[in-house]
Amino acid sequence: MAVVPQLALADAQPEADAEALVALVDWCVRFSPAVAVDGSDGLFLDIAGVDHLWGDEAQMMADLRARLAANDLMFRCAVADTAGAAWALAHFGQDGVIAPAGEQAELLRPLPPAALRLDPDAAAQIERLGIRRLGQLMDLPRAPLAKRFGVGVVTRLDQALGQGHEALSFRRPPTPWITGLTFVEPISAPEDMVRVAQDATIKLAARLEREGQGARRFELTYHRVDGKNLGVGVGLAIAGRDAARIAKLFAPKLEALDPGFGVESATLAAYEVEPIGGRQTRLDAARTIAPEDGLAPLIDRLANRLGKERVFRAVPVESHVPELAVRPARPLNPAHGRTPGWDPETPRPVRLFRRPEPLDGVIALTPDDPPNQFRWRGRTHRVRRAEGPERIAEEWWKADIEDISVGHVRDYYRVEDQDGGRFWLFRSGLYKAGHPARWWLHGLFG
Amino acid sequence: MPQDRAAGPLAAVRAKIAAIEAGGRADSESLPFGDDRIDGGLPGGGLPLAHWHEIGAEGMEAETAAAPALFTALLASPLARKGEAVWVMRRDDLWAPGLVGLGFPAERLIQVCARDEAEALAVTEDALATAGVSAVIAEVEAVDLTAGRRLQLACEKLGATGFVIRRKPFGGESRRAATGSTAATRWRVASAPSEPAKGAFGLGAPRLAVTLERCRGGRTGAWLFEAADPFSMEAGHGTHPLRLVADLGDRQLASPQPIRHVA
Repeated sequence: MAVVPQLALADAQPEADAEALVALVDWCVRFSPAVAVDGSDGLFLDIAGVDHLWGDEAQMMADLRARLAANDLMFRCAVADTAGAAWALAHFGQDGVIAPAGEQAELLRPLPPAALRLDPDAAAQIERLGIRRLGQLMDLPRAPLAKRFGVGVVTRLDQALGQGHEALSFRRPPTPWITGLTFVEPISAPEDMVRVAQDATIKLAARLEREGQGARRFELTYHRVDGKNLGVGVGLAIAGRDAARIAKLFAPKLEALDPGFGVESATLAAYEVEPIGGRQTRLDAARTIAPEDGLAPLIDRLANRLGKERVFRAVPVESHVPELAVRPARPLNPAHGRTPGWDPETPRPVRLFRRPEPLDGVIALTPDDPPNQFRWRGRTHRVRRAEGPERIAEEWWKADIEDISVGHVRDYYRVEDQDGGRFWLFRSGLYKAGHPARWWLHGLFG
Repeated sequence: MPQDRAAGPLAAVRAKIAAIEAGGRADSESLPFGDDRIDGGLPGGGLPLAHWHEIGAEGMEAETAAAPALFTALLASPLARKGEAVWVMRRDDLWAPGLVGLGFPAERLIQVCARDEAEALAVTEDALATAGVSAVIAEVEAVDLTAGRRLQLACEKLGATGFVIRRKPFGGESRRAATGSTAATRWRVASAPSEPAKGAFGLGAPRLAVTLERCRGGRTGAWLFEAADPFSMEAGHGTHPLRLVADLGDRQLASPQPIRHVA
């Protein structure tokens, strides 16, 4: 006996809605790299610096509207100088309005106070006092306004008018270094995908070159017709903008991508952008090779093929604990060249086991003589010469107080066996009568 | 080689042979050890540069490859000072502080961890053919003829020198027996007991018993080396980081480890 029998009912699914909204955020990355979720039903797109890719704001919005409509989504949108004003216009103003720069105040005036994103109590109180339009609110003196309705109202008003700052939490770091390509027909052939990567790289590299910048990381995103995004990234060892080189790094990664029914647009973003100087060709360039020519492309090739953590330079860490004394660092980083390194005077092995290997059959005089004999991997080694002990304690200032014990002290010895094999072994803990000492092999000198 | 200069026509023939051995590059440089007992037998009077060299060991050392790493680091450190050095490995147990103690510029060394044998060889080849790289050290199980030829071509491209440390995976039998090799030299390295100075405490400078098993255009031999004091090298005295202690002669060639005879 329903009044509207054709009304379809469905339970609200807030989680599914939120997921869909996040998916929409990812989809919107084709319009701007900086997209933020607003509440449960809105999106903010920071289109500063990207609208020119479509021509102007109006053409960009027309494209956005067409694509959203094609996906059967209900929406309202507006463009303004501030997030607050855009929100107000999109929710209460005319759909699709574009506020001219600096003139959002006039457009906001006829809107109700609720357009300020106020909490319902404050909005209700403002309306109860007979203020129906934002214009009235703007004309009131600020101090009493804050006193009566709370600072929140003033803050929101300032944010809408561009007098206060507002931080939006974008889903990915915003970068002004983005470029895009949109295709008349969806593409899917592998060679087309490669060509797109080249074209996008050339486009972005030209911009970087004009402004004297280079980037360390490039992320290319293909937007498929069905709304899925395919992302690939490449990293450079030193900031660069050589389009051919970057496109070559992308090429092997594109084979793994599945274009599905086709890709309709692609965006390329550059991250970790930093100024790089123009290259001067030196007169003696034939003899000295700049790292940009030789090493950097090699490291880029290796790091992108094997993984970033597999190509490194070992840099010193100020720690006495052997396994902590080395840290892998970026292969090309001039900053590490001058840091005080490891002491070349203390003998250290060429090979260090990640986990010390336990020794058995150790014969050593107590309390702290080097061993006379030990067994390692089924072979008995008779010690001919030895040096030590070198006591290395744990870094007690880093551990919890109850975890500190003398059991973590290690006494290191450098020993040589009858064949000349040189070993770095240690006894853990201090000597305690009645407890056999435990011995470990930590490294080989060769 | 002063005695060759006196021989006249013989020297000319020798030079011709050396040029053929060097693959048409008569101008290939070499890195002398600074001792005639070894340089005299090497083509060009030193370790040939722009070639690749194979370094191996026996017993447990074939798996841990500590002595070969020590020997290679010392051989390559004069080159690593002149350009960039790359160390390609399968297991990352190479420890930079140890290299620093030998006078190797470890903070500038680029280390690459490859996932398998083929990748390690590909990376080595790529690095050898890169401008600015003077030495590439690779730890692989074996280099077959094709891979060896590719490494040699990569070496010749820009004059980089390759060092291949033959290293077996832990606890496994070698998948491939070492067959013929295109390396310029093939060395077998074993640790040797050190001799500290009289009255000194502890261990002396590391010593290595080194056998040159194969040498293109040169003579094989066996020597006892000691690591020279790294500080004298940094001061730029031009001394080689390996100091020749004794010529072990040919009778040790068959077994560099005398202990085996006893057992």
